Amino acid sequence: MSDTKDASLTPDTRQLHEGLARVWANPRGLGALTVVNHTTLGLRFMATGAVFFLIGGLLAMLIRTQLAFPDNNFMSNETYNQVFTMHGTVMMFLFAIPILEGLAIYMIPKMIGARDLVCPRLTAFGYFCYLFGGIILTASLFLDMAPSSGWFMYTPLSSGEYSPGSGSDFWLLGITFVEISALSAGVELVVSILRTRTEGMALHKMPLFAWYILAMALMIVVGFPPLILGSILLELERATGMPFFDPAGGGDPVLWAHLFWLFGHPEVYIIFLPGAGIVATLIPVFARRPIVGYGWVVAAIVIMGFVSFGLWVHHMFTLGIPQLATAFFSAASMLVAIPTGIQLFVWLSTLWLGRPIMSLPMLWILGFLVIFVLGGLTGVMLALVPFNWQVHDTHFVVAHMHYVLVGGMLFPLLAGLYYWLPQVSGRMPSERLGKWSFWLIFLGFNLTFLIMHWTGLLGMRRRVFTYDTAMGWDIYNLISSIGGFMMAGGVALLIIDVALHFRFGKPAPQNPWNADGLEWAMPKPPTPYNFVSLPRLETRNPLWDVPELPRTLLEGRHGLATIDHGRRETWGSDPLTGKLREVVHLPTNSWWPLLAALSLAVVCISLLVRLYPLAAVATLIAVGFLLRWSWENGAHPKAAPDATVAPGQPPLHSRTMNGPGVWTMSVSHLANGSLYLSLLFGWFYLWTVAPEWRMPETSPLSMPLLVAAGLALTLGVLLLAKLVRRLRRRHDAGLRAGMNVAAALGALQSTLLIGVVWLAELAPTESAHDATLLVALLYVLIHALLGALLCLLQGLRVGYGFVSAEVPLEPVVVLRLWYYNLVVYWSLFVAIWVIPTVLGGAP
Amino acid sequence: MLRWVLGGGVLLPVLSIVALLIFAAPTGRGMLPLPLATTDPERIEVIGHQWWWEVRYPGEEGEPDVVTANRLVMPAGEPVDFRVTSEDVIHAFWIPRLGGKRDMVPGRFSTIRLEADAPGVFGGQCAEFCGAQHTGMQLHVEALERDDYDAWLDERRAPRESIEKGDAARAFGEHCAACHRVAGFPDELVVDDTEHDIKGPDLSDIGSRPTLGAGVLPMEEGAIAYWLQFHQMLKPGNRMPPHNHIETETLQDIGAWLETLAP
Repeated sequence: MSDTKDASLTPDTRQLHEGLARVWANPRGLGALTVVNHTTLGLRFMATGAVFFLIGGLLAMLIRTQLAFPDNNFMSNETYNQVFTMHGTVMMFLFAIPILEGLAIYMIPKMIGARDLVCPRLTAFGYFCYLFGGIILTASLFLDMAPSSGWFMYTPLSSGEYSPGSGSDFWLLGITFVEISALSAGVELVVSILRTRTEGMALHKMPLFAWYILAMALMIVVGFPPLILGSILLELERATGMPFFDPAGGGDPVLWAHLFWLFGHPEVYIIFLPGAGIVATLIPVFARRPIVGYGWVVAAIVIMGFVSFGLWVHHMFTLGIPQLATAFFSAASMLVAIPTGIQLFVWLSTLWLGRPIMSLPMLWILGFLVIFVLGGLTGVMLALVPFNWQVHDTHFVVAHMHYVLVGGMLFPLLAGLYYWLPQVSGRMPSERLGKWSFWLIFLGFNLTFLIMHWTGLLGMRRRVFTYDTAMGWDIYNLISSIGGFMMAGGVALLIIDVALHFRFGKPAPQNPWNADGLEWAMPKPPTPYNFVSLPRLETRNPLWDVPELPRTLLEGRHGLATIDHGRRETWGSDPLTGKLREVVHLPTNSWWPLLAALSLAVVCISLLVRLYPLAAVATLIAVGFLLRWSWENGAHPKAAPDATVAPGQPPLHSRTMNGPGVWTMSVSHLANGSLYLSLLFGWFYLWTVAPEWRMPETSPLSMPLLVAAGLALTLGVLLLAKLVRRLRRRHDAGLRAGMNVAAALGALQSTLLIGVVWLAELAPTESAHDATLLVALLYVLIHALLGALLCLLQGLRVGYGFVSAEVPLEPVVVLRLWYYNLVVYWSLFVAIWVIPTVLGGAP
Repeated sequence: MLRWVLGGGVLLPVLSIVALLIFAAPTGRGMLPLPLATTDPERIEVIGHQWWWEVRYPGEEGEPDVVTANRLVMPAGEPVDFRVTSEDVIHAFWIPRLGGKRDMVPGRFSTIRLEADAPGVFGGQCAEFCGAQHTGMQLHVEALERDDYDAWLDERRAPRESIEKGDAARAFGEHCAACHRVAGFPDELVVDDTEHDIKGPDLSDIGSRPTLGAGVLPMEEGAIAYWLQFHQMLKPGNRMPPHNHIETETLQDIGAWLETLAP
């Protein structure tokens, strides 16, 4: 139903609808590149992810064609190595994670009763980073320069000596670019879920899907930085010869494996959790009763989130890890069965106690249950070290991980696709085509991968481009290939079904599945602003308990139903109780995200072709765009120059001291801190483990300069803290001068740090020790410069009146950065100067 | 409801895990290279290269090691400790019929203990993806009775009679010896003008080996010459440069001469 034409609305309400439509409108034509709306960007994310799924699937079909017969000449070994590397990389990094982020970006505001995510421009920036990174990475396939070291890129195979072409660079740079998008989505999803739920939606009233996405987003924030650090180090090694992973220079190839799996194992759960979130959303709807054991599921999600960070070594059992560690990680890996089991039995009990009805989405859920349980069982088997030693790196593992990933992610995703398709398009898909596609995919999948367990047990290694007929694997491989093509047929049918439904699907009723979720309470297809008015909610099943909600929302009978101010607004609420705290005014369409992402793409490409001066220039331009973007905040004319709100409403968030921006900064520092801890891990790991690591007898770093730089930083923090305390009392006299002094202190700290690097005379290409020191010093230097720059801009913004006692949010945000710098700086000083000096150099 | 969630979600996995660990812990322990009560186990070093295996039998007190390639001979009926490492990228040492695998990491040694219950021939293969010819990195494993094993090793420990400096040996010295070692080969024949420092397999007993190119080709008369001409077709991407600049007859001479190299 199209809301503005609804004849039953009063003229006032219709005016409200028109006003909202005007303020929230997505521009067309070239202007579509400036869209920041979560509905549009969520769909773009998912559509792009679907395209990459088809590319990854095509690569899988090439693999199965090559392996269908023994001694096959369909592909050369070099091509095959590129193909399987890209299959894994595309599926993991360009399909699974982004499409789930897209789903969360599309769905979360609708489920928690918000009009958009909390950082709309960041959504757009993340999308462009994903798109450009994905294009750069897949371009390598067409240039015949694709990476060929496997999707986990073990060093030294992926390093300069053994992979001299550009393949590894495409992987490292492209993936890091895409990961910027994962991190930005992670940060804003965390803050949106915690801070912008509608009035009254306490944490324990939140839909389970939001819990799953909250866990996923936090895991992205903490889990991706180790790989980003690893990629930076490996790219530095490849580009300049710093020997982080080279044993001859004091590095260690196993450091890469640690950093990769520190990310890689949580990643499996980052992919599984949203899938489970879809299952937990759909099962109650089709069981026609609320989920049993909501609290159990939440506890299981939290446990899973934590435990998944303690499992990474189980990918490395054969690498010669100390025995005690092996035993610990083996037991921990099996313990994951407990939170998984809890969720599984909660779902089963819900079905048991409800009055389940069959439907197309439910068919996919049942398929998920079968496949995922099988994958989980082989997972427990693999956690047993003796068994692991036998089947590691065979087709048994290939079968296991496809059961877990396809079962845990693809099947729920397709269940969700059929479930939410009417919400997106307003039309129902075809039941018959959908069933055909399900059975083709389900049977094809099992045909391919069930038998592959056996092929693996017979000794077939993964990643071999062919095999000898004497091994006796011919028939099993042929069956796997036939199953693979069957599955591809099912996917083709699915695409046809979805494409046709946009034209021929029957119009969907308001709530076609009789669902309980708020996302069914809005017009279909959704309006960019989601809800005309934002409801006060104190139930977990809004549409079951308040069936008239779609109507009353549309009539503007709930909160924030004003638009004459011309601002895009949503509620800011208390993270625990959901009590209203502020009105969050959101930025509108903007070119800055696209321009910033484009200049980062230039950085990426110029690093690929080794035009380092161009990369440096493009980096500066990107920073310029990002800062220009940050300029349009607070009382800037494009943000919220006028702070008037309707009577009884809380203040605008930029007029408070604890708006979502403070939370965004803190969550970003969770990611940044994870990167820093990974760097410290690398330092201590190489120091204690790498056989050729050489610790000089006295530190090459100048202690007086280090301490002086630290004192400048500390003084800056004290000064900023004082300025913020005065703002809290509504005093802004001397704010501008204070900011300028803080900027000067940051500049002083930076200069002293440059002096430290200069005087140390490091030889970073000869020793991993010096290389790690250099990277650590550059890390704090970049942060010092950023701190200084932001203070300088704050000083300017005070001059323009964008920041003042009335608009005090930004200095609080900047202070958070300085606090972070303070902790990082002094802890790094202890790690790289105090401890080595106390312990003395290596003999 | 609570009964189901607790029973299925907590009790069931805990019981299964405990049962599995009771079974697995002793098995895992048996695979560790712990000191034995009676004697030290036989120790063999295996070094991974792109894409072949170097096998070394350490010599006692100053004796040189016995070195061979792509063929592993081991005593049967007793535990053997394999010390494995790599010369370049990460490989993994795996003889599927004898049990677990172990990654071969450059810069460090690790040990895996395996035992062949009875004499026999087994296949071995690299299990960690190691580049272009990961597929073509096979190892021929023979387990021999202890006496046969000792005899096999003694044959190779015995100093070789001096090598005749014929045309074939000269050609070998000119084209091959920079990368390939042959025990007892006269130094004055070695021409080393290569720029790379890639090490090729030790060829001291190549005539007695069952396969060529790490399992790519069975050894028979004329096989080496065939390999020398067409090795980049037989094993694309392998590290030996093509021999297009060398006359076919010369390659055949070298091949025939190499076939004679056996203890």
